[in-house]
Amino acid sequence: MLATVLAATLRGLEGRPVRVEVDVAPGLPGFTIVGLADAALRESRERVRGALRNAGFVHPPRRITVNLAPADVPKAGSALDLGIAIAILVGSEQVRPCGRWAMLGELGLGGEVRPVPGLLPMIAALARRGAGRVVVPADALDEARLVPGIEALPAASLGQAVELVRGRRVRGHGPMTRAELIPDETARTIPTPSDDEAWPDLADVRGQAEARRALEIALAGGHALLMIGAPGSGKTLLARTIPGLLPPLDPAEAHEATVIASVAGEGPVRSLVTKRPFRAPHHTASYAALVGGGPRLSPGEVTRAHHGVLFLDELPEFDRAAREALRQPLEEGRIAIARAGGSVVMPARFQLVAAMNPCPCGWGGDPSGRCTCPPGLPDRYAARISGPFRDRLDLWVGLPRVAPAALLARGDAEASAAVAARVAEVRARQVVGRGRLAGRLAGRALRAACQLDVAGEREAIRLAEAGGLTARATERLLRVARTIADLDSAERVEVRHLEEAARYRVPATAAAPSRAG
Amino acid sequence: MGRDGARGEWRTAGEPGASVDQRSGIGPGAVIARDSGRPESAVGRGAGPASGGGDPRGGSLATLPASAEFAEVRPRSAGPTHGALSVDEVDAWAVLVAVDGIGPVTLAALLAALGSGRAVLETAAGPRGPRRLAEAVAGRGGHLDAALGRAIADAAIAAPVLVARVRALGIEVLTIESSDYPGRLRLLDLPPPVLFVRGDLAALDPARSVAIVGTRRATEGGRRIAGAIGGAVSTAGAVVVSGLAVGIDGAAHAAAVACGGRTVAVLGSGHERLYPRAHGHLADQIVAGGGAVISELAPDVGPVPGTFPRRNRVVSGLADATVIVEAGERSGALITASWALEQGRECFVVPGPLDSEQSVGCNRLLRLYPGQARAVPSVAELLEDLGLAGGAARTSPDRRLLRGGRAVGPDPGAVLAGLGAAEAAVARAILPRAATLEELMDATGFAPATILAVLTRLEGHGLVVAALGRYAPAGTLAATTPHPRRLGPRGAAATPPAGR
Repeated sequence: MLATVLAATLRGLEGRPVRVEVDVAPGLPGFTIVGLADAALRESRERVRGALRNAGFVHPPRRITVNLAPADVPKAGSALDLGIAIAILVGSEQVRPCGRWAMLGELGLGGEVRPVPGLLPMIAALARRGAGRVVVPADALDEARLVPGIEALPAASLGQAVELVRGRRVRGHGPMTRAELIPDETARTIPTPSDDEAWPDLADVRGQAEARRALEIALAGGHALLMIGAPGSGKTLLARTIPGLLPPLDPAEAHEATVIASVAGEGPVRSLVTKRPFRAPHHTASYAALVGGGPRLSPGEVTRAHHGVLFLDELPEFDRAAREALRQPLEEGRIAIARAGGSVVMPARFQLVAAMNPCPCGWGGDPSGRCTCPPGLPDRYAARISGPFRDRLDLWVGLPRVAPAALLARGDAEASAAVAARVAEVRARQVVGRGRLAGRLAGRALRAACQLDVAGEREAIRLAEAGGLTARATERLLRVARTIADLDSAERVEVRHLEEAARYRVPATAAAPSRAG
Repeated sequence: MGRDGARGEWRTAGEPGASVDQRSGIGPGAVIARDSGRPESAVGRGAGPASGGGDPRGGSLATLPASAEFAEVRPRSAGPTHGALSVDEVDAWAVLVAVDGIGPVTLAALLAALGSGRAVLETAAGPRGPRRLAEAVAGRGGHLDAALGRAIADAAIAAPVLVARVRALGIEVLTIESSDYPGRLRLLDLPPPVLFVRGDLAALDPARSVAIVGTRRATEGGRRIAGAIGGAVSTAGAVVVSGLAVGIDGAAHAAAVACGGRTVAVLGSGHERLYPRAHGHLADQIVAGGGAVISELAPDVGPVPGTFPRRNRVVSGLADATVIVEAGERSGALITASWALEQGRECFVVPGPLDSEQSVGCNRLLRLYPGQARAVPSVAELLEDLGLAGGAARTSPDRRLLRGGRAVGPDPGAVLAGLGAAEAAVARAILPRAATLEELMDATGFAPATILAVLTRLEGHGLVVAALGRYAPAGTLAATTPHPRRLGPRGAAATPPAGR
């Protein structure tokens, strides 16, 4: 007989409802899945067979046909296992269901129900389809309860799921309350390191006053930052303080970030993600890992860093194609991944923080002249960063080697908490006052935001002409000056803000180890 | 074999085996390999002073003198001796030297064989051109390679393109026939027959000129000293000659420009392929400041290793004296130094610490050429030795030993006086040595934002240059004395730059 169960599959970050139709018919024993199933889904046959047997049910020795509708949507992953198994049980009349059911979960051979990545958007899709109750893996109950308007029924095993379908032991869990969603009110202000993740405090960073200042400006205005300095000058350490400097996500951002965390599949999500993501992929990361894609169209690092910071250490060492692919998300805040089977668009509004050595040997620009690179090589090294990519980096800052005296000097530098407070304040002011961070202002909105007076305008023109700035580079100067003025609590961008902003522009030769004079 | 060298002749006729040397330049190897003295090389044999000659050999076709006598052997084509060449003839010379493989000697042979550059080109472009060229040269006892003949024929056909390109670039073609041709270069063995010049021709033949050269991998201290010497020499009224390379050369040029002086950059490539490209702006500043950028290579010749030693010979040849600021063990500046000695010019060397890679070559020069390469104890004493000190009374040797190096470049106080209070405070803090933002905060007590804004202003005035978070003096500020002693209390407290 025919049985139908509602389930869902994932496409990019979107859930798509899928109707699982199973026909158990007389004939030669067989098990066929139709409906654009991927490899993981085709293997579902073996998992379902094992789970049924080991959970004390019978795998019916008849002709089983599983149809996944709609037929033209590619389906991926193991989230349909539970639905297929239950539909077979209903179709072979081992179970008599009470009502219609929606369910998601992967099966183990022993009949365990396991969580799958992307449960959150899939349940949300089912909720939109009107499913009131969804059977979910018991381990992922918290994640399911993040979706409003749905009753989540946890099942740890196929047996428990069958009990639920039979209409017994039904004890659903409603969505989380607001208090549950944001468990700790203190997390709304400034993040503190926890046991499972720790980050250094800015007070631990010695010297590098200019880079600290640039970092503060970058985080306050959401500007892309490039740090150039010798190995050991503190680039990576500075970048690792970023999690402690960023304000938490606002509710809308948190929702998006939680969906991404769910799809990224780093274990089930326990609560709303409120901490701004900080992603630091290694420079050997592949194109797909960085940008997203792969057979399952999984989100890449750019998407995982959505609303947060993407830190690329050793920028020139990254795969050139992957680096250049960052240009679209830097500009548009999203990444389009086109594949033969169709394309998906994923959000990727991240702030880029990058670091690089001035030259391959690392000593370029050091006053001791210890750089062993042949003259011209440092320029070629810097030239690995293409012009269009440079144009998207708002702040450039050089980090000199820290003198031993500064390393051992007494007295701590300013701590993260003070900087984080200023960053949060400026960000709030920019978003409330102008609708977006200064790093995303352009064109007329940017000029309006700067409110340059005559002297300021003259200075901006002078700086642009003296530096031979392109139109894009001039905008970059204005954007950075706007954030500097905000840090200075100034209504208008004044000459001194422009002058400081001019410090963070691209050096004449990016490495600038041996300029005249 | 300098100015007083024995007069030599290079007979091409009736001397079997003496074929025309087709090397386009003078190989550096012959020079570097010599560790002492100045033995004669094959190409050095034909040298002679331009002034001393006076041997009127105008019509003697049997002789093909090299170098300065060029002018005197060409009466057949250009009319009377020293006659100015027509514009077409000058262009023809430019086309000929642009051919890969034609150097001074081959050019002389061609001109002697066919009478004029235009005749060479016309013959080459005509029927059986290459063969007729070879026959004409052979008629004078020389030899013209078949491939070179074909190259000349090709160049003759493409000549209008090259000429148009030279005109479009605003380059003047200066031949050795011209009265504007720098007199110092005429004194060389085999001077470049053609110079491509951008800028003021007068800068090439000044009353006094000093070459300042050194390694591209200069230390910060080295660049400072190059700037100080460049500024002082320039302020004293001499032209600074250098090679426009990064490092020492660039610092010397930049200081001269900043002090409002004239400077001549000799390229190791053609004008269109200016190298290093990062110095394109500096080259424009040099031209704008009344100086010149010159090359003996055609505009489209790229920077290849062999062209640079050849360039160095022109650098030292244009100057009365050459100052080597920093040179590593294999620095090209050493080639310039040996050219200067070879050409009988003065050679000064800034000594450095024994453990500094950038000073190994300098110190070795001092050891290998005692009495020829002279040490530079201070900028003031260098100016005195160069005769640029402006009538400073000579003190007795023992007094001179006790005297400190007196600043002769622009006075830092005067430079600082022209600035606002905050600018002057920051400028004073970077004078002793390049500083980071922290160091400037410590020195001035200003907030970081203030200092950064002030640095932009100073950079706008050309007084500061930034590199990797470190701010160094530039322009007239860098051209002031490297000794911090006279800079007041703050300067006195600071230690001199590392490595010096």
